[in-house]
Amino acid sequence: MRVAVTVAAALLLAQAARADEVEKSAQADPRGEVVIGNVAGEVQVTGWDRNEVHVRADLDDEVQRLDFKTSGARTTIEVVLPKGRNYQGSTDLVVQVPRNSSLVINTVSADQAIKDVRGMQRLQAVSGTIQTELWNEDLEIKNVSGEVHVRGHGGKGMLRATSVSGGMRLDDIGSEMDLNSVTGDMTVRVSELSKARIKTTNGDVELRASKVTDDVRIDAEAINGDLRFRFPRTLDAEFDISTFNGDIDNCFGPKPHKTSEYGPGNTLRFKEGNGDGRIRLKALNGTVEICNR
Amino acid sequence: MNESNKTGRDPLDEALASLPESIAPQRDLWPQIRAEIEQTPIAAPKSVVQSNWFRLAAAVLLVLATSFVTYYVTRQSMQQQVAQVTPEAAPAPQLTGQPASFTFGRERLGAGYMNARAELDKRFKERLAALPPADRAKVEKNLADLRHAADEISATLAQHPSDPLLQDLLMSTYQSELQLLANVSDLPTAGSMRTDL
Repeated sequence: MRVAVTVAAALLLAQAARADEVEKSAQADPRGEVVIGNVAGEVQVTGWDRNEVHVRADLDDEVQRLDFKTSGARTTIEVVLPKGRNYQGSTDLVVQVPRNSSLVINTVSADQAIKDVRGMQRLQAVSGTIQTELWNEDLEIKNVSGEVHVRGHGGKGMLRATSVSGGMRLDDIGSEMDLNSVTGDMTVRVSELSKARIKTTNGDVELRASKVTDDVRIDAEAINGDLRFRFPRTLDAEFDISTFNGDIDNCFGPKPHKTSEYGPGNTLRFKEGNGDGRIRLKALNGTVEICNR
Repeated sequence: MNESNKTGRDPLDEALASLPESIAPQRDLWPQIRAEIEQTPIAAPKSVVQSNWFRLAAAVLLVLATSFVTYYVTRQSMQQQVAQVTPEAAPAPQLTGQPASFTFGRERLGAGYMNARAELDKRFKERLAALPPADRAKVEKNLADLRHAADEISATLAQHPSDPLLQDLLMSTYQSELQLLANVSDLPTAGSMRTDL
C-alpha cells in the first residue's frame, strides 16, 4: 500500500514538473507587430479577426517563464530560459494574432507554422521547417537548416528567402522574389513573374511561371546545379544564357552554340516577341533548360 | 553583449575604420549602402543594435568585394586586350610581371577587405560555436563548399582570365560567402535568447 502511494505521488509530481500550460491574452493593434522568440519546440501562429493576441504555451520544466508584453503596437512573446544552463527541453507556442499583424519570429530549433497572417513577416530559424503563407505584404525568411514552404495567394508581397541547407518549395507566390540557397533544391510556382533573383551553390532550381510581365527581369545562377524554367507559351523577353560546363536545352527554338571549340560551355542569346524583358541564366556546372510548354 | 579587443574597441568598428583608408573605391559607395539598408523591408527590433553593425559591415564588405573583383577583372581583361591588339608595340611588361600562378583569390581584394572579413569570420565562429552540433556541422560543410567553389572558379579563371561568366560567378560566390558569414553571425542562438533570470 505504501509503495502504491509513493508511486502515485511520484507520478503526480512528475506530471506537474513535465509541462506547465500557460494561457495569456491582450488587446492588440489590428495592424501591429507581434514578436515571438522560442529556443526549441514548435511555434504555430494563426491570424484571426479579433484585435487580440492570445498565446497558449506548454512550458517545459526547464523554462523559467513566458514573457508576454504589449508596448504600443508591439506585442512580445518570449520563452525565457534560466541563465547559464544548456537548454535541452522543448516548448510549444500556439498563438493567435490579428490577421493583418506584422510578425517577427526568432527560433533556434523549432518548427514554425504560420497561417492566415497577412502583414509583413520576418522569420528566422537555425533549424526546423518554416511553413507560411504570402499575401500582399513582404516576407523575409532566413533558415540555416531545414525546409522552407511558402504558399502564396497571388498577392503582391515580395519574398526574400535565404537558406544554408534545406530545400525550398514556393507555390503561387508573388511576382517578385530574391532567393538564395547554398545547398538544397528550389521549386517555385508563380502565376505572374516580374522580378526574380535566384542563386544556388549546390542544388537545382525549378521555376514555373504561368505568366510573365512585359518588363520581366530574371537573374538566376547555379554553381553546381541545374536551372529548369518553364515559361508561358508567349512572352516578350531577351534571353542571355551561358554555362561553363553544361548543356542548354531550349524549347523556344534557337540553338545554343559552344563557347569554344573544345570546351564544354555553351551560350544562347535570342529574343522572343518584342524582347522588352531580360532573362539571364548562368550555370557553372549544370544544365539550363528553358521551355514554353 | 558588446565585444572588444585588446584596444578596447569593437572589432567591427576597427574593421570598418580600416576599410576606406587604404582603398579608393571607383565610385561613391554610400548611396548604395544606404539603399541596401533602406531596402531591408522589416526593421530589426531596436534592442538589437549589434545586428545593425553586422548588416552595415556586411554591406560594406559586399560592396567592396564587388568593386575590387570588378576592378581586378577589368584591369586583367584590359591588359589582355592591349596585349592582343598591340603585341609587338608592347612587350606586355605588366602581363609578364604577373605571377604565373595568378588567381583571383581573396588576397587580391586588399588588406582592408581581408581584415574586415577576418573580423566577420571571428564573430561568425563565436556564433557557430553556440549552434547545436548538427547545425554547426551543416554550416561548416556549406561554408567549405562555398569556399571550395570560389577556389575552383578562381583557379579556372586563371586559365580563362577574360571569361565574363567565370568573373560573374566568382564575384557572386564571394558575395554568397560573406552573406553566409553575416547571416549566421546575426542568427538567434540559445545563448542570445533571453536568459535574464
